[in-house]
Amino acid sequence: MNCEEATRLMDGYLDGELDPITSQTIEHHLRECDKCDQAYKAHALLIRSISNKTPYYKAPAGLRERIQSSLREGIAERSPRSVSRDIPSLFQSKPSERRAVLFGTQWNWLALAAAIVLAAIIAFNLVPRLQRPGADQLLATQLIASHVRSLMANHLTDVASSDQHTVKPWLDAKLDFAPPVVDLGSDGFPLVGGRLDYLKNRPVAALVYQRRKHFINLFVWPKEPGAAGITDTITRQGYQLLHWVDSDFNYWAVSDVSDNDLQAFRQVFEKQLPRR
Amino acid sequence: MAAPLKAEYPFLSEDFDLSAKIVKFVPLKNEEQGTAPEQELASFEALMLPHLDAAQNLAKWLLRNEQDAQDVVQEAYLRALKSFSGFHGSNGRAWLLTIVRNTSYTLMKKNRAVDLTTPFDEERHATDYESVNPAALLEQTEDAELVREAMDHLPAEFREILVLRHLEGLSYKEIADIAQIPPGTVMSRLARARGKLKECLAARIGKEK
Repeated sequence: MNCEEATRLMDGYLDGELDPITSQTIEHHLRECDKCDQAYKAHALLIRSISNKTPYYKAPAGLRERIQSSLREGIAERSPRSVSRDIPSLFQSKPSERRAVLFGTQWNWLALAAAIVLAAIIAFNLVPRLQRPGADQLLATQLIASHVRSLMANHLTDVASSDQHTVKPWLDAKLDFAPPVVDLGSDGFPLVGGRLDYLKNRPVAALVYQRRKHFINLFVWPKEPGAAGITDTITRQGYQLLHWVDSDFNYWAVSDVSDNDLQAFRQVFEKQLPRR
Repeated sequence: MAAPLKAEYPFLSEDFDLSAKIVKFVPLKNEEQGTAPEQELASFEALMLPHLDAAQNLAKWLLRNEQDAQDVVQEAYLRALKSFSGFHGSNGRAWLLTIVRNTSYTLMKKNRAVDLTTPFDEERHATDYESVNPAALLEQTEDAELVREAMDHLPAEFREILVLRHLEGLSYKEIADIAQIPPGTVMSRLARARGKLKECLAARIGKEK
């Protein structure tokens, strides 16, 4: 090994980063070359001196806490899940850090609680609001119940007649309104009879029509003031419900016939309706 | 016209479960990450916070400004947390210092282009003090302030390698990884950095004499 090469490898040797064979070669050279030996000793001193005399900047007080809280925010951003539960950390020793952790905890739980409360508020405000356009919904349940009951309890009609001039006077006498009654036998919906029912806290007329083997209950009562010309179709539990309103009355037709049949029923019913 | 009411008003059908609406607001456990975030944070802190001083030291030496250094360290910890899932090694300090270094350089490029573009002034530092006796020189370096000033006059790539070697005692391999230079370059760069530091020290001591 020559001096030039020894000088080139000086730092690696003194830092202990050379392979053993190269190191031995250098040691051998240094024993023989006084100039290089002096240079190595001087450089070793310099290296030691730099290591000893260069200031080491330690993290100032408070930096760790700031970093920990920003990390907590960082991870909270990434995931909505609260990161707060007292994280077992070896580095939380000072009371101030503990406070920071507790503060973080409360904040996160508050956020979670707020989210749940908000969800509840939205749910409880939204649900009734959505239900209102079909407050009909409760009514639909009652209508189906009435329809089913009328079929199962052998109480389909109070007045069994296919003659509208029998059914209508009977109903007029029992009710505080005079429901329109028409026989639609010529259109395939023969009138079976009439019945009294009770819906929306009031007695209503139930007209019973037949479509082949199926029955149609047509519930009629005076329309509420302000009710617009609504038409609504509901399918529930295999039953079709058809709702419409004319100038005087609310109509709810309930049956297990198809929707098309029910629509046809409404059309012929309205067509046969005497002009008032 | 058989539009089922169910579709229009999903709240209204019996089979609609109201609680499903609320469940949306309950944060779901993140299965994809494997570990819960708080576990991840705890393990991140356990591995990385012990190297806070090393991070601060490197940043301060690179930026030569206390506030910038603290900002960079904080930012570097956040960046490290984000890419923590990619850390599989055992050398947390080297990994963190790489991020600290990169973050420092980003800030230096943005704020202090001078640091990176001004080449080391060979002329100015080429010295008349080669003759200064190294022993005398070292005696004079009792003063830490003298070393600090000399170091601060070196370019960033020299400050960086001297800090990593002398203050962190890192191996050439680790230094190559952090400074993103070929392993074979570490020794020669370190030799040049030490030479320049010695020159700067000699110049200062010479001036004082």
